[in-house]
Amino acid sequence: MAGRAVRAPGGSDSRFFTTTKKGETHELRQELNSPNRDKKKDAVKKVIANMTVGKDVAMLFTDVINCIQTENIELKKLVYLYLINYAKTQPELTLLAVNTFVKDANDPNPLIRALAVRTMGCIRVEKITEYLCEPLRKALRDDDPYVRKTAAVCVAKLYDINADLVEDQGFLQILRDLICDPNPTVVANAVAALSEIGDTSGRDVMEIDTSVLQKLLAALNECTEWGQVFILDSLAKYTPADGREAEGIIERVTPRLQHANSAVVMSAVKVVLTYLDSVTSVDTSRSFSRKLAPPLVTLLNSEPETQYVALRNINLIVQKRPGILESEIKVFFCKYNDPIYVKMEKLETIIRLVNDRNIDQVLLELKEYAQEVDVEFVRKAVRAIGRCAIKLERAAERCINVLLELIQTKVNYVLQEAVIVIKDIFRKYPNRYESIISALCENLDTLDEPEAKASIIWIIGEYAERIDNADEQLEHFLETFEEESAEVQLQLLTATVKLFLKQPEDTQDMVQRVLQLATEESDDPDLRDRGFVYWRLLSTNPEAAKAVVLSEKPNIADDTFTLEPAVLDMLIGQISTLSSIYYKPPEAFVMKQAPISRAEDEDLDDDDEDAEEYANEDGEDYEYDSNNADGLTGPSDTSNGSGAVDLLSMDDLSVNDAPAPAAAAAAAAAVPAAPGGGGIVDLFGGGAGAAAPPAAPVQKTVVCPAAQGGGLEILGAFVLRGGALFLDVDVNNRDAAPTQQLAVQLNKNTFGIVPAQQQIAFDQPLAPGASASYSLPMSLTPAMLAPPGSPVGAPVQTALKNMQTGAVLYFNIPVDGLSTMLPPAGPMGRDQFLAAWKSVDDSLEVSKEAQGLPFSGDVSAVTRKLQERNIYFVAGREAPGQQIVYYSFKLVQLHMLAEVTFPVGGSAAAPRLCIRSEAPPYAPLALQLLEAALRQ
Amino acid sequence: MSIAPVSQFFILSPRGDTIISKDYRGDAVAGTTDTFFRKVKFWESGDPPPCFTIDGVNYIYVRKNGLLFAVSTQWNVSPSMFLELLNRLAKVFKDYCGVLSEEAIRKNFILVYELLDETLDYGYPQGTSTETLRNHVRNEPILVDSVKSMRLPSALKTKTAPSSSIQKPVSGSGQKNGSQRNEIFVDILERLSVLFSQSGQVVNSSIDGCIQMKSYLSGNPELRLALNEDLVVGKANAGSSFGSVVLDDCNFHECAKLDEFESMRQLSFTPPDGEFVLLNYRMNAEFRCPFRLFPSIGDIDPYRMEVVVIVRADMPETAAGTNVVVRLPMPRNAVSVSSEVESRVPGQTAEYSANEHRVVWTIKKFQGSSELTLRAKVTLPNVVNAANRKEVGPVSMQFEIPMYNVSNLQVRYLKIAEFAKSYNPFRWVRYVTQSSSYVCRV
Repeated sequence: MAGRAVRAPGGSDSRFFTTTKKGETHELRQELNSPNRDKKKDAVKKVIANMTVGKDVAMLFTDVINCIQTENIELKKLVYLYLINYAKTQPELTLLAVNTFVKDANDPNPLIRALAVRTMGCIRVEKITEYLCEPLRKALRDDDPYVRKTAAVCVAKLYDINADLVEDQGFLQILRDLICDPNPTVVANAVAALSEIGDTSGRDVMEIDTSVLQKLLAALNECTEWGQVFILDSLAKYTPADGREAEGIIERVTPRLQHANSAVVMSAVKVVLTYLDSVTSVDTSRSFSRKLAPPLVTLLNSEPETQYVALRNINLIVQKRPGILESEIKVFFCKYNDPIYVKMEKLETIIRLVNDRNIDQVLLELKEYAQEVDVEFVRKAVRAIGRCAIKLERAAERCINVLLELIQTKVNYVLQEAVIVIKDIFRKYPNRYESIISALCENLDTLDEPEAKASIIWIIGEYAERIDNADEQLEHFLETFEEESAEVQLQLLTATVKLFLKQPEDTQDMVQRVLQLATEESDDPDLRDRGFVYWRLLSTNPEAAKAVVLSEKPNIADDTFTLEPAVLDMLIGQISTLSSIYYKPPEAFVMKQAPISRAEDEDLDDDDEDAEEYANEDGEDYEYDSNNADGLTGPSDTSNGSGAVDLLSMDDLSVNDAPAPAAAAAAAAAVPAAPGGGGIVDLFGGGAGAAAPPAAPVQKTVVCPAAQGGGLEILGAFVLRGGALFLDVDVNNRDAAPTQQLAVQLNKNTFGIVPAQQQIAFDQPLAPGASASYSLPMSLTPAMLAPPGSPVGAPVQTALKNMQTGAVLYFNIPVDGLSTMLPPAGPMGRDQFLAAWKSVDDSLEVSKEAQGLPFSGDVSAVTRKLQERNIYFVAGREAPGQQIVYYSFKLVQLHMLAEVTFPVGGSAAAPRLCIRSEAPPYAPLALQLLEAALRQ
Repeated sequence: MSIAPVSQFFILSPRGDTIISKDYRGDAVAGTTDTFFRKVKFWESGDPPPCFTIDGVNYIYVRKNGLLFAVSTQWNVSPSMFLELLNRLAKVFKDYCGVLSEEAIRKNFILVYELLDETLDYGYPQGTSTETLRNHVRNEPILVDSVKSMRLPSALKTKTAPSSSIQKPVSGSGQKNGSQRNEIFVDILERLSVLFSQSGQVVNSSIDGCIQMKSYLSGNPELRLALNEDLVVGKANAGSSFGSVVLDDCNFHECAKLDEFESMRQLSFTPPDGEFVLLNYRMNAEFRCPFRLFPSIGDIDPYRMEVVVIVRADMPETAAGTNVVVRLPMPRNAVSVSSEVESRVPGQTAEYSANEHRVVWTIKKFQGSSELTLRAKVTLPNVVNAANRKEVGPVSMQFEIPMYNVSNLQVRYLKIAEFAKSYNPFRWVRYVTQSSSYVCRV
């Protein structure tokens, strides 16, 4: 940065940049100490100019600080600006300024008071925090709202530097009191500060109840636009008691939809959508959601940046409530001058809103888009036509006609996309539109992209009997077999086998050659495996081969971009945040936040990996095909999945019987989508290289040294991430041979942990000396619980099979129930708790007297202790001689309800612990964990 | 949990130099500005979307007069909020510095830092209105040359204010010595998006309108602005309102009081200093398009074709389009293109730009109720085929029509509320219609 600003001519502030001579520091120092105020001010300006262009002016610290004692606000501000920048490097000297701060905090001028408080909070030197407390406390109760609003934010600053201090000094309570402040801006800043503290601490420090709610709603109408956003966002976190309350809140919020600030509109939309779920009357709900349409459409007239944010959110909203924008499809038609990122999103919305009534209009548009200049946009438009065909059966033929017209243009990339979508259409409507195959075959030579090639090869194989020279066509592709990508090779292999099964007389040589190429020449394990399977099938039982290879394909649907309902609900709760732009849960990309689970997230934990998977794929901006594991581009043969299982003799390792035929079919569908990974892996939704990058580094321990592991050194640990359990492993290959696939099995264990995915498949074979990390999703099942009486916390006995060498390794992975099995789920609502408690039969309750459990008589201390372990206080009541407290927590995904009865008044009885759970087999375990947490 | 702060605000020059960079939370990662600039500069196609994430840092940015305004954050923030904020900061800087340019910001960097201190605290947006900021900001703006040379006109001599008056900083010494003129500028600005089919029919059309103001009234009196009495808001309410103005939706600046809006279509408000948008509105209903386009393609001989574009100004004679530009894309392999316009109407030229493969037709003044024609003869290296014809078009048009608006939304009056009336301000009301996306398919 240095020196860039020098070029500006003098005669203005920029003249301060022009001193680069030697002795400059000396000169500056003299000027800083000059008695002339203007000279002083100019000198400080020069110092700051140097500072902003990155020059080090730290040596002038004392001289600048000496200027702090001034009545001139402009000069004071400049000195403060300097101080904030350099305080960290000179913590000792910064203490010199403290006196001035304290004095300024008592200045009669509110601007100076606020300035002092604001600046002190920005000086991130721990030593001065203790001097900050008294001025801050005073400022929080200042007469002037400007000072109070600055002080509110300052509490958040202080919390970041020294959280304990804020708690001890009772600042949180004062902040909560500020929610009732008469000045709306103060309320808004208090809400913001509480929200941040809540996010960093992982606790709900705001505690919105009915009276707070009313205060917030009142402030909403009065405060600045930014304050409105803060308040609306905090409202979105509140769970209304009943439908009537929800309606009332929506009524109060809807006027915000007419605000000119798009952030206010978006946040209001979020509140309305969140609360709509609680509205019971269908009519009311419909009339509320109708109010959302005009403001959402209006957002499309704003700057392209705002449009983009709105569109990403609209694409979520129309999934959740398609009715809202049903009749507005025209406004999503692309404008000539829209930036590409807006066009792409509009196209997505169009596909979501297309129906039998508007399809003709939409097709006309899409056809125009397919002839524009931007290649990416054109491709997506062509794909969109295919997706319309799959979505609307009655319009399929019209869509195909448009595609044929586009093929006639002979534009290369249009052609390739058209072939790919036509293959999908064939999958969806088999034996209906084959008459167009000839038109496709005319253009074989121009196809050069793997996906398009794979698609046309699949079509040839599938409809070999209708194509006169199918064998010649395939022969043509076979010439270059070795140069093709894995995707194309796999399709060629399958298509040739299909052709052979249909016309065995002419194609014996050909199939022989392909099988040979696949099994002997190729070093791609997928191709080899598939080749072997076919070979064996064909040689042992051709009829079975026919049944498998030519079996009926599972139907496909256009759900490419459709989100799991639970993930969708989570994202709807995140509307108007980055999360809703990336379609990722915040945990996946935000570091600055402890996850707080809200009521609606609670059943979500299992799906987190889906969410992340989706997000990962979406990361490949606009790539339609990257997430077709759902089957849209899933032409393949059912043999593959099950065949692979047999071949790898996984039977003896299989713990979980689930992946039966249905799953195998799904796996087969997924194969071409993930050329790099094995079919079985995809079946579990992990995708190749499944796990998203771990949110936080986990301390893994060496569980299997290389000597014991046949050359593989394994580090592993169980870890909770986003509410789901994973086994994170690092594999260091110390062997001489590469390895790519490992199969995992766990013995019965304390927590009943089973792998949700039995194989670890690395993207690339793990070369000797290389190492890789993998996150294996885990789940809990009662069937795998160790028999009662086994020691809690015993390590999990694990077996790992190296699929390349066949060697099986046995080792233990330690698991600490308290620190890894209880996710930060947040407390359960009282009503929810009560309902859940009642729903568990009394006979399934487990309880015990905790003999010798130390109890000081202070329930809140116990509560705090438990909260550290993610066991949350729900409610408490007093009974004669005892105090009964209810806690909720989660054992990975399972809700646990706890009741702890403390003796009071000198009773000698031991505290009584009691657990109820939706999963009764886990109750004894939860009881032990609770006891352990209490005894800590 | 979107009440989340940003770490850093920065302004980069078009070359990627950091002009302003402010770290609000002491947690900014080193090198963010460079990482950001590289990503923006080397994005594969076009501009990257306005928010993206690199290595756990999220960036949100807008372009303003060639400068990049951006924030970085590690929190799950509301992108709309910070996009609005960036736009607002650009406006505040413009209000204070007079113009928004690299030079103006560099010269006023201390003022800009002071403004940044007030507008965001610890990364949370605070007050951003120009007038409340004035209570907290001490630095005087340093004018850059283009503003300095501006001279205030005498109201007696001229009825229109020079366009440079809009570059006058709102704060400053003018007010103190009483030489400030009490004037207020009101623009009813409508931007049209129209798509015509080949046959000249309207496929899609919308008006994106706003009432924009810039106030220099002393004492900030309360004002009343009245719109058409028969104005209807919301399609659902438009039942029997033939002939009246029907807006699909509208939204208001936060200063607007809407008590009398439902009954009398009247807004009362205390104008904030500087430029602000009082009302945004949107109309999707059919309206009379000011220009209609009729393109056609014919063959002259096997190697040549002729593209004719007729443009008709479908508006009263009193109105006229200015700075009209019509762009007509041509086949990429065209050997030569000769274009011709009618010589009877002066002030128009048509030129073929071989680099961009298009004919650019400019018309200085396009009178209402008139019709102009462009003929372009295209010579091709091959026999004219369907693909060549496909490459022609779509025709896009750019224009501005002063003192004319399409929606018929009118300002009936703008006056100072009775109780606050101590003087008669100068009111400059302008209607302007502009093209946003005005395209005809061929």
